Amino acid sequence: MSEDEENLLQPQPQPIVIESQPQPLPPPQPQPIAIEPQPQPQPQPLPPPTPQQVQQVQQVATEDIQMATAETPVTGQARMDTAWGSSEGDEDISEMASIGQTDSGEIFKQNYEPWRGELNPRWMRNWAILRHHILGIFKKGHRPWGVPTRIFLVLVFFASLSDAALTLLSSLIGDAEFHSFWGVNRDNLYGHVLGFFPRNVMYYPIVAALLVGGVISEDRLHGTSALYFSRPINRFDYVGMKYASVAFIQAIIIIFTLFLYYLTEIMAFGRGWAWIVDTFPIFLGALMGGVLLIITYTSIGLALSSVSKGKFFPGIGLLAIILGTKTLAIIVKNLFDREILYLLSPYDCLAHVGQTLVKTQPTYDQYSWTWSLASLIVMNAIALYVLSSRVSSMEVTRE
Amino acid sequence: MERERIIQTQDLSKFYGPHMALENLNLDIKKGATGLLGPNGAGKSTFLKTILGLIQATSGEGTVLGHDIRTEGAAIRARIGYMPEYDALNPDMDAINQVRYSGELLGMNPVVALQRAHASLQYVGLGEQRYREIKSFSTGMKQATKLACAIIHDPELIIADEPSNGLDATAREFMIDTLINTVKQGDRSVLMASHLMDDVERVCDEIVLLHKGKLAAQGRIEDLKAIDREIEIHVWGGASKLEAAMIQRGMRVRREGRVMRIAHESEELTSEILLCASQVGAQIRRMHEYEASLEDLFLVIMENLGYDVKSSEDLFNHPIHARKVDAPGHMGGGAS
Repeated sequence: MSEDEENLLQPQPQPIVIESQPQPLPPPQPQPIAIEPQPQPQPQPLPPPTPQQVQQVQQVATEDIQMATAETPVTGQARMDTAWGSSEGDEDISEMASIGQTDSGEIFKQNYEPWRGELNPRWMRNWAILRHHILGIFKKGHRPWGVPTRIFLVLVFFASLSDAALTLLSSLIGDAEFHSFWGVNRDNLYGHVLGFFPRNVMYYPIVAALLVGGVISEDRLHGTSALYFSRPINRFDYVGMKYASVAFIQAIIIIFTLFLYYLTEIMAFGRGWAWIVDTFPIFLGALMGGVLLIITYTSIGLALSSVSKGKFFPGIGLLAIILGTKTLAIIVKNLFDREILYLLSPYDCLAHVGQTLVKTQPTYDQYSWTWSLASLIVMNAIALYVLSSRVSSMEVTRE
Repeated sequence: MERERIIQTQDLSKFYGPHMALENLNLDIKKGATGLLGPNGAGKSTFLKTILGLIQATSGEGTVLGHDIRTEGAAIRARIGYMPEYDALNPDMDAINQVRYSGELLGMNPVVALQRAHASLQYVGLGEQRYREIKSFSTGMKQATKLACAIIHDPELIIADEPSNGLDATAREFMIDTLINTVKQGDRSVLMASHLMDDVERVCDEIVLLHKGKLAAQGRIEDLKAIDREIEIHVWGGASKLEAAMIQRGMRVRREGRVMRIAHESEELTSEILLCASQVGAQIRRMHEYEASLEDLFLVIMENLGYDVKSSEDLFNHPIHARKVDAPGHMGGGAS
């Protein structure tokens, strides 16, 4: 016998266990098959341990714990005993457990399922993009707009209905002076769309900024442009549907509420055809102003979105352009009495053209409204050029 | 019976200004699984964009599934499934809706797209995770989701760009098995661009190797391997003498210590080796036909092109300036 084998046969240091020593299993006793129910012994409450018993247990436990020192060899025996029992391993397994037959199954079976359907034409693909973005405002499973965006859109929608609500109120209380403040007239129709405060400070630019922020930039950020361009979708359809969806959501807030405002006046005051014929051109002027506003804000916003990766720069950039140029133009006008810088301000150009369309009292009198219209056209052209060139460069393989 | 051709190009070239991305590419890819290999800058991405109809070739022509790549890009993209290499999923969407939307972008009815999204995610092993947001997915699950997006409309050709990139062993195994299953059970074709030679070898029957925009090799992996057939011997004693004797007899010998590989150029090679060994008194303790891997094949091809690279990893994973594998002089590069 080698030295190593002799060492193996040496008694190993026993681990410290608190449990009792292993006892051999009693041999199985043949049990008679009892058909009649056996009387069950009534459970007797265990007598409470005596103070001596408690003291003995505590002493044993304390002594055992004290025996475990840093020098105690770690053999793993205790863990083995815990896992596999503490006997020598000669048990008759048939007495302890029965081996049952179980059906073996396949948890995951990979089956390729063919599809024999037909793909719909181009309009259906475009509708999918439009639907994805618009329905995302209302329900899960479509474009995941942020919760603050959704809340703000709802708030602005109801805030935009304030003039309709007050018109309705004035019809209920029958106060003519109250109605002159809030009812449909040239100034109020203009104000619904192009009023500076609060609509073009707190409402519409922020709505546009929240909407355009991530519409294209997040496709760059997440690489989802590959999802579009590896499908039979061309760049024009891609950007066109993104543009349309953002514009549509703004139109619900600006144009639809304008329509409701006009409709409320008709319904609440029982306006006849004569009144409608008189006011409809004004309404159309305001509507065209709203369309121009939506187009301009969307074009600039999407251009900013297409040059960035992330939603904050386009949003902040759009607000900075709209409100920053307006502020700069006011400062220059007040200091030097020159209005020409308004031509750089999208809002002022829109307001100037809008005043002409609705025929309200003009507030820009140093230059013609055609300059503002030309400036708007240039702004939109530059924005659309940036947008188209940036979308053309979006990659399907990598960004 | 000859297999159906799925991609065919004739003298296909693409130039970005003065830079040549593809040059006179003549490819003939048949139904089945084909690996697209090549180091960075070889022209793989340009080739994929060209056959998807996303960019116009400067010259030459080609067809994919019978559609002209110059004029029928949309029709091609409707019949293929593209699985991009990089992230192409919205992290804030759940997997089922992401895959459904990818089907709708192909023109599928929303209801049908949803049904197929369930089936596709089940197929790629994400049946239980389909309602989880993608941002909570592991890399393997994201890759599987991209594959589900690619196969939702049961395309005839799946273009998988680095499908096993960044995956751990288990996920990689599953992805490879899924692609194999798609080819074998689904009877679909796969064009797989990958840097991992083992994966390509497991999935594909054929390879296309691009380098510097040119076709370096194309064909069945087994046939290409036959180019590099060798007999490997393990020698004990007198290895140098044996090497010299074999070279004297006109054999092409590569030696690494006691292991030698002799080009298998004649049927009597084994007899000649044994004869040489008996003449110089060397012991040959082991002799067998050496089975080249795709990695070996790649290195041989690169060697034939004039490059000194140690492994495909060496070539693929380092930036261009660190690879020092500029094209040789006769190919217009700066290497001597």
